[in-house]
Amino acid sequence: MRRLLVLLLPLMASSALAQTQITTSIGQNQAATSIPIIVPRPDTTLPLDVYNRQFFAPFTRDLTYSGIFALTPYPPNVPIDAALAKQLKAQFILLTSIKVEGQEYVVEVRVIDTNNATQFGKRYRGTQGALTRMAHIIANDLVRMANGKPSVFLTQIAFASNRDGNFEIYLMDWDGGNQRRITQHHALSILPSWSPDNERMVYTSFFGGTSDMYIISRRGGARVKVRTGLNLNTSATFSPVGNDIAFVGSVNGNPDIYVVRDDSSNLRRLTTDSSIESTPEWSPNGRQISFTSGRGGTPQIYIMDAEGSNVRRMSFEGDWNDDATWSPTGEEIAYTSRVNGRFQVRVQNVATGQSRILAGEGSNEQPTWSPDGRWLAFQSNRSGQWQIYRMRLDGTDIQQLTFDGENKDPDWSKKPE
Amino acid sequence: MSKALKGFLCGLVLVALIAAPACRHKTTPVKPVTQPDTAASMTVPPVPTTTTVAPPPAITQPSDFVTETAPRVTSEELSTNIEEANRQAQLRGFIKDAFFGYDEAALGADAQSALTDSANWLKKNSQYNLLVEGHCDERGTEQYNLALGDRRANIVKQFLVTLGVDAGRIRTVSYGEERPFDPGHDEAAWAKNRRAHLVLVK
Repeated sequence: MRRLLVLLLPLMASSALAQTQITTSIGQNQAATSIPIIVPRPDTTLPLDVYNRQFFAPFTRDLTYSGIFALTPYPPNVPIDAALAKQLKAQFILLTSIKVEGQEYVVEVRVIDTNNATQFGKRYRGTQGALTRMAHIIANDLVRMANGKPSVFLTQIAFASNRDGNFEIYLMDWDGGNQRRITQHHALSILPSWSPDNERMVYTSFFGGTSDMYIISRRGGARVKVRTGLNLNTSATFSPVGNDIAFVGSVNGNPDIYVVRDDSSNLRRLTTDSSIESTPEWSPNGRQISFTSGRGGTPQIYIMDAEGSNVRRMSFEGDWNDDATWSPTGEEIAYTSRVNGRFQVRVQNVATGQSRILAGEGSNEQPTWSPDGRWLAFQSNRSGQWQIYRMRLDGTDIQQLTFDGENKDPDWSKKPE
Repeated sequence: MSKALKGFLCGLVLVALIAAPACRHKTTPVKPVTQPDTAASMTVPPVPTTTTVAPPPAITQPSDFVTETAPRVTSEELSTNIEEANRQAQLRGFIKDAFFGYDEAALGADAQSALTDSANWLKKNSQYNLLVEGHCDERGTEQYNLALGDRRANIVKQFLVTLGVDAGRIRTVSYGEERPFDPGHDEAAWAKNRRAHLVLVK
């Protein structure tokens, strides 16, 4: 994607936009205010199914879900001008055009206010296959400018899918677009987990006859086996600091939490209980690790310091809890919690212990946070098959992201850009 | 007890009825062939070292019961194709899977009996190594169930080793809930899926 060049910079001072009342304070979970904006169809000679499917649909979807912009409806077949925008109580008009130059697409974006003054202008150039990527980049730029913070539009979700036979590791854009397979093991391959720099993933594959951990680069290249000398090698997860991987290893049928460096060195055992331990996850600052243990009689969530000391139980409701994962601020954990015989996503404040259930149909498991902390992706069998969904932290705006085969084990990339 | 005896006698009749054709046709349905095994295993001590319970010599019996009275069942009768050999070994009861209770990895009486039979056969057929696969039903969570399956597989391995099977011959792997034997969503299916599955490997 580096071939995508941002060429012409501000037609006018782009900082002007940020200096107007657009500087909003966006809450962690909800938009405090949103900016009404009119977004007419692009000015282009491309066929509708190309520009709409590859650009305009994902672009307007991003803006709609941004929590920052509110798309103002406008009458069809009417030229949009500043006066009309004012009448419709919109603050801005977002004009786009798409041109083809040789093998490239050139997308020009202009934001004008109700006084017809250009507040932002930028030209983007990319290969034809990159049109959707350009839509996400432009939407991200607009959010960044209004909000000062990056969006989630450039993030990726890793997952496992059996659409081609065996479960293999796949990637998709945050909105479910651009789904592509990145492993070719022809054997059960599951539980991908991103590195903190978004460059690598660690996952478990059975293609060697046993379950082993492998590291693969997002940009391709050879996979690297992480050698531990232990059984299981599941639930692998990169430390947010350094090169450590926490995982579940087993000796003689006693699964425990271990840590190993990504070059297979410096293996350390963190738990020694005779019960089953599983599913480690680092806190965002790397100082704590949550995990699941059966030591209390049922699988429950515990937290320990990253060296294995100071273990305390976190979950007390539900008779089966697993899959804990930390919010980007470290203030909350989300996990799979069985309530009345059904698995639901529970979000719990780490300090107070207070929790809430995000209700949904079917079984809902393996939550994963977006890097901006405003979304959770998870897997649900509500359709009769395992599929990956995404929702806001209050359980609204649930969207199904996968449809082909069965899909599970979502893991949201850690960095926004 | 009388119920068990009844079942056993039924089994004997069934053996008489079907054992002979079963020798000739390898495509005999699974159910009638395995029924005598079940009846027999309920009436014998966990480690059968004698032939005091003497069912009629039939290919459907574990090799221990027939060593004195019938030509010894050797692996030569199993296919050289390892997958087919596994099918045959399961069908004839040479090796038997162990089943577990919900969220449990302890071996009940039935599981111990099945593994005792399996250990006896394995000790006499050292040309095979063994892979023990741990499986779980779908009602738990994927990650915890992978760990639970590991525990199940290793408890079975340790039991077999206690009965004299060389530990170096046994490898374990956990599939958690990834590979259910029965895709159903009821207790009958779940009971089948909570198992340690024994697989012969060369």
